[in-house]
Amino acid sequence: MIAVDQIPVTVLTGFLGSGKTTVLNHLLRQKELGGVVAIINEFGEVALDHLLVESSEDRLALLDNGCICCSVREDLIETLTDLAARRAAGSIPPFHRVLVETTGLADPVPVLHTLMTAPELVGRYRIDGVVATVDAVNGARTLETHDEAIRQIAVADRLLVTKTDLAADDGLVLLDARLAAINPVATRAHVRNGMVEPAKVLDAGLFDPAARSADVVRWFELASHAANPPHHHADHDCEGADCGDHSHHTHDAGVSSYSLIIDEPIQREAFARWLDYVAALRGEDLLRFKAIVHVAEQPDAPIVVHGVQHVFHPPIALAGWPSADRRSRLVFIVRGIPRHIIENTLCKFAAVSRSAIQRSAA
Amino acid sequence: MTRTFADTVFRNGRIYTSNRELPWAACAAVKAGRFVAVGEERDVASLIGEATATVDLGGRMAMPGIVDIHNHIMMGGQADLYELRFSNADSVPRIAETLHKAASAAAPGAWIVGGQFGNNLLNEMNTAESCALLDAACLGHPVVLRDDTYHNRWASSAALRLAGVQADTPDPTDGEIGRDLKTGTLTGIMIEAASGLVERALAASGHYTAEMDRAAVARSISVLNTYGVTAFIDAASMQPIMAALKGLDDRGELTAWAVCAMPVVEPGFMFGKAGEELFALREQYRGTHVKPDYAKVFLDGVPGAKTAAFHEPYLADPVRGCCFRGSTMLTVPDLIRWLGRCEKLGLAAKIHCAGDAAVTQALDAIDVVRSFNGPTHLIHHIAHASYIAPDDVKRFAELGVAADLSPIIWYPTVFLEAHKAAMGEERAQRFWPNKDLKAAGALMAGGSDWPVIPIPDPWQGIEGMVTRQNPTGDFPGKSLWAEQALDLATVIDIYTIDAARAAGLGQSIGSIEVGKSADLIVLDRMIFDIPPDQLADTRVEMTFFEGRKVYQRSA
Repeated sequence: MIAVDQIPVTVLTGFLGSGKTTVLNHLLRQKELGGVVAIINEFGEVALDHLLVESSEDRLALLDNGCICCSVREDLIETLTDLAARRAAGSIPPFHRVLVETTGLADPVPVLHTLMTAPELVGRYRIDGVVATVDAVNGARTLETHDEAIRQIAVADRLLVTKTDLAADDGLVLLDARLAAINPVATRAHVRNGMVEPAKVLDAGLFDPAARSADVVRWFELASHAANPPHHHADHDCEGADCGDHSHHTHDAGVSSYSLIIDEPIQREAFARWLDYVAALRGEDLLRFKAIVHVAEQPDAPIVVHGVQHVFHPPIALAGWPSADRRSRLVFIVRGIPRHIIENTLCKFAAVSRSAIQRSAA
Repeated sequence: MTRTFADTVFRNGRIYTSNRELPWAACAAVKAGRFVAVGEERDVASLIGEATATVDLGGRMAMPGIVDIHNHIMMGGQADLYELRFSNADSVPRIAETLHKAASAAAPGAWIVGGQFGNNLLNEMNTAESCALLDAACLGHPVVLRDDTYHNRWASSAALRLAGVQADTPDPTDGEIGRDLKTGTLTGIMIEAASGLVERALAASGHYTAEMDRAAVARSISVLNTYGVTAFIDAASMQPIMAALKGLDDRGELTAWAVCAMPVVEPGFMFGKAGEELFALREQYRGTHVKPDYAKVFLDGVPGAKTAAFHEPYLADPVRGCCFRGSTMLTVPDLIRWLGRCEKLGLAAKIHCAGDAAVTQALDAIDVVRSFNGPTHLIHHIAHASYIAPDDVKRFAELGVAADLSPIIWYPTVFLEAHKAAMGEERAQRFWPNKDLKAAGALMAGGSDWPVIPIPDPWQGIEGMVTRQNPTGDFPGKSLWAEQALDLATVIDIYTIDAARAAGLGQSIGSIEVGKSADLIVLDRMIFDIPPDQLADTRVEMTFFEGRKVYQRSA
């Protein structure tokens, strides 16, 4: 079998009216996005007319920057395999990236599961990352009323806060805090009129074995910060068993996030078994799991593990550690899975010593 | 305000309540099927009105209705009412003779279902000669005969035709279609999964109507009532069983609490929808007294056939060699997935584990599920908790798992003899560590596994748990691991309140307490005053279910 470079797929999600289409419109005009296939909801929403150079058939449009737009999204597998076949046959120009726009109400999880597991796709495509737009004006309310919106935030690698020019400053601060609580490891950027640099959107997700070490370092820092968030309520007496549990709780449908740092190598098989168990038993409540793991059998090449609910991406081995810090980082965005259950089961089934699990800086 | 009087008052009894707070009482009053007072004469006197029926117990002992934690409720009644019965000691010619008589009387084209022949006859039946004998006897009727393990069948050529089985039909997975060694022709013998081919044809023929199913279940329950049983778990509930239970309940004719354990996969001896497909139908079968709240998992087979999974190997034999340990039917991750799914659906799992390795695997899986899911009100069962590695005994209590004690073979029986042949005497004897389980705090529940044992008589089980000797007089002077004997009060708990808890009904049945269902039985003797070897002779005089008399022993 010939090894083929996997084509990165960026998933663009965001609630209705959150400015997703505006962002997409902007991105499709950038020359950096030449050679991109955009799989969009409807042509009508994206203002393509003046960009169109060719429309060979109803469902496919070729833009003058070399971008291909494609509105078929009933079956992502079919669309992506069809595109790969056309590309191979030369009936469409070569493309090196795919952008999938989900509908506003859509739960992005099925799209991610498809990309992670469909045998037709896994060899040809890889998830590049998930970008979610959040409306600075209505975002907070949407999070309270719509479960899908929380899931969109939870699975995102990059959050684009839109319409910031229309939002009050204090509201924006609160929304930022809310987003950080749901998903502490996603980057956040404020955008106006959809004007976002392609670099802020692409290459986001640590799914690439050749991930730039700057990204890994950044993620490391966010994960560490998530494990040791600053105390906001210093005057609040800490009592009870959950005292050391610095998880971020939100009031959004019981979603919380926390991360663990493990300061000892982890046995590969035991860890894989634990992943199996957590997927089988708590997958539904595991909105997002992301980890860089120091594997005992392979101390020089950390593995990156991504999970979205019960589906785990095959572990990705990085070329090397981005810094001298070789501790494993595990980040969880969950609905109602207490941190102690994660810790206890890691000790019991993944052969992790309790003393190696760090909750706070020494 | 008008006074409310009891519907029924039991007086002048020696009522053992299975309630630690008040173990004995003389009287109990019932209103609308529930106990409203339990105590002495003074506690019930004011509840007796003109319309109150009083039952003078005449100093006899009464106790809560018995819970059978494991039986197969359709089979006994079906066999009684509709099947051609012969002994598992009958020869092939004898069986053919019995069949011929039945076939002569049967309506044209009607199926004849019979059992159970000895499974030792399978080889003899699996020949062209025996097949000819069968076909001659059955006079063209489709016939299916079951063996005494319920795992294998002998079918007439007419039955094979209806099942679409032909000479070139391939063997199903986990099954074998019998063929004569010399001629290669079909013999009608259907081993394990092949039985399903014929059983499905029988089911499709409409031979058993819903009405017949209801009558069969009603017959079985009336048999249970005669032994004082007023609640049970059906340990492999397929659709027709649940439909029959629900049908009886809707008609007000169900005389016991029925808990249903729905198989996660089609069992080897019953056929039809299982797992998710069956779970999805569960609410349509729920009734006032029908509780489809358990799932059934088969993890291994039986020790006698060397199909149970053990840590140590069976004795060497020419087929399996020196080191055969049996195996489990599910991996730990598969079992974990099923248990996780069951807990999500609010189903407790009854897990068949006949060998000690199967027990370990089930406990391991439950340990994983508990660790990830946290506490639950669901009580999973290890069924046939009999060969248990010493280290596993304490895990029952630690993990909140119930020990389903069934079938009633905790004393010397032919089963034990087969186990000795399979694994040697010393190991075979370490069977049913009941005392160890009790000492370790396990929740234990008694069951019959009827029709694996021919009559669902809990009194044999009760005596056997106390004496560890065979109450029928077979194997005289022999005991099975006598150190594991339990005292009678503990055993009565195991058959009443503890079994009720294990069945998920501990709040509503299992003891004689105010607020609980008035399930009460009257005995012909004071069981705490007699020698233990007379316990199995106990006769139930009357059985009350929700305060209603559902059995009266004839004089």
